Amino acid sequence: MNDTLDALLRLVAVLVVFLVLPLLVGQTEHKVMAHMQGRLGPMYAGGFHGWAQLVADGVKFAQKEDVVPADADRRVFQLAPAVALLPYLVVLIAIPVGPHGFVGEAVDAGLFFVLAVMGVGVLGSLMAGWASANKFSLLGALRSAAQLMAYELPMLLAAASVAMAAGTLSLPGIVGQYHWWWTLWQLMGGLVFFTAGLAELQRPPFDMPVADSEIIFGAYTEYTGMRFALFLLSEYAGIVVLCGLTTVLFLGGWHGPWAGSVGWLWTLLKTAVLAFVVIWLRVSYPRLREDQLMKFAWTVLIPVSLAQIALTGVVKVVTS
Amino acid sequence: MNVVHHNAAGSGFLSPTGVEITFVLVGLVVLGAALVTVTTRQLVHAALWLVVALGGIAVEYLLLTAEFIAWVQVLIYVGSVVVLLLFGLMLTKAPIGRSPDADSENRWVALGVALAAAGTLVWVVADAFRSTWIDVHPANGPGATAVTGSSLFRFWVLPFEALSVLLLAALVGAIVLSRRRPEGRDR
Amino acid sequence: MPVPGAGLAKGLAVTLRTMTKKSVTDRYPDVLPELPPRSRGVIALFEENCTVCMLCARECPDWCIYIDSHKETVPAATPGGRERSRNVLDRFAIDFSLCMYCGICIEVCPFDALFWSPEFEYAETDILDLTHERDKLREWMWTVPAPPALDPAAEEPKEVAAAHKAAEKAAAEPPGEDGA
Repeated sequence: MNDTLDALLRLVAVLVVFLVLPLLVGQTEHKVMAHMQGRLGPMYAGGFHGWAQLVADGVKFAQKEDVVPADADRRVFQLAPAVALLPYLVVLIAIPVGPHGFVGEAVDAGLFFVLAVMGVGVLGSLMAGWASANKFSLLGALRSAAQLMAYELPMLLAAASVAMAAGTLSLPGIVGQYHWWWTLWQLMGGLVFFTAGLAELQRPPFDMPVADSEIIFGAYTEYTGMRFALFLLSEYAGIVVLCGLTTVLFLGGWHGPWAGSVGWLWTLLKTAVLAFVVIWLRVSYPRLREDQLMKFAWTVLIPVSLAQIALTGVVKVVTS
Repeated sequence: MNVVHHNAAGSGFLSPTGVEITFVLVGLVVLGAALVTVTTRQLVHAALWLVVALGGIAVEYLLLTAEFIAWVQVLIYVGSVVVLLLFGLMLTKAPIGRSPDADSENRWVALGVALAAAGTLVWVVADAFRSTWIDVHPANGPGATAVTGSSLFRFWVLPFEALSVLLLAALVGAIVLSRRRPEGRDR
Repeated sequence: MPVPGAGLAKGLAVTLRTMTKKSVTDRYPDVLPELPPRSRGVIALFEENCTVCMLCARECPDWCIYIDSHKETVPAATPGGRERSRNVLDRFAIDFSLCMYCGICIEVCPFDALFWSPEFEYAETDILDLTHERDKLREWMWTVPAPPALDPAAEEPKEVAAAHKAAEKAAAEPPGEDGA
């Protein structure tokens, strides 16, 4: 097998994962959320417990008319969903699933790459919000931007702590360095990373940018059909990426019994558990207020992540 | 990522390898995007073209196998600075479509400054390196993360720390400026 | 002293516990609901009992019962006897777009001609189609369930109580002294 074919196959695999896992998370969210609220959720599509609900939704979205508001900035409006979605696809390439090069493409500064590209996704929200020529969209975009600004910092700091501990920025390298007690050592950082990631994805309880009772659907208010579906898909792809990253950075990725042969299964399992937690948090907690969100980021998450960095540094110096 | 083999003797200036052709093409795109950024009358479009320009520069870094710098470029400039810029623009009620007054009437002065800055940079860089070839082999070339990190903290610690103090000062200044003054005083 | 974050944990526990419990959703079109006794679905007409006394139509707060009838003369049963007249029902219709399911018509019917049926699937796409005529109302009579058993501590029905009383009285008084 030559190199080009190998790379091509890896990219196709990443694309398939990108198209399947978010739908899986979405379907799980339908069912878990329903049962947590004492409901059944979708039951008809596909026959068995509504397993094909999201496929049916996709067909529905594809049939809908693609409306661009008359006063909107057409090109920016149409481009925004792609800008929101593509970063997550690109990020997925660098997340290692199993040992021995079971990764789309091992990037040298993988951690940096992932965080940098994930931050680009918010540009999609901003473009959508501004180009819609709608005050609710604009408010949503402003909230998105403010939220990203506030939560990018603790996320980076928590990730930096892991990089310090492992002594490398490469994601497979970080997992390779992992020992079980890292999870305890990096616990604060892990919590901060996960929380900040939720806020960056605009998931409840941090979903003020799309708060439907206040600003309709934020930056996505004016979108219909496939473009709207792409925004939704980007949210679920974001969940997959965030959970995968948290697994890799804080939960030891493929480490577990028989890691040599079924390591990839451990990664997927840990990711799935985290995705469940994401859904669980959505069902359990009400939406925060915008100022509470900002206060939480600047007065809780950032000090905690700084404390984590200090702890990491001390332990690192003492043990080396 | 991109493997670049430079044999100092074998490759002349702009030998037509794929990477170098790409480098020039991306460079042209960056130049074009930068020109549109400063000439367009649509404020938000200017910011978005700035994204293209900055992202293109990140690609150029990548082509030079300076991976770390490339991602820093994306993280800081595309992910944060432009977002902040757009945030600010949205607060100023930037209109959709042309802003007739988005022209400071300083075109010629600006062009002069830009040309002077570009000339100075090109001259400095060309003069500093002359015909030195830098091997950008990706494994542990000058652009690799570990090499960048160790050179930053081994040889450039003082400028690095000076910059952090500067940023800290800016941070403190911002907090002081944005702090609400007590009632009845200096209203 | 409250532990910080206890409320957050409690919220998570509540949702997790709900998830493990059976959901309360009724799967209606697939599984028909189990309705309680005396459910007020639709009003059925046992038209054989109806004497066209018009009490139901007059008591109806919504005026949603329409009754047409004519008189028929029944020839005398015995020779030289009097002819009798009898009401014959021509039309009995209930407009369920007006009906408010108060059940007064059923309460006032002196001849047990109206009943509650638990049948509820008679939605129509046109409001005019909600006026149901006697044949339809008669058909619903087949869906009327037997009256539910009384509650354990309930009073006896009046008729049964009266019969019991009479029987007791008859048993208490010695036979033969039955004056009257």
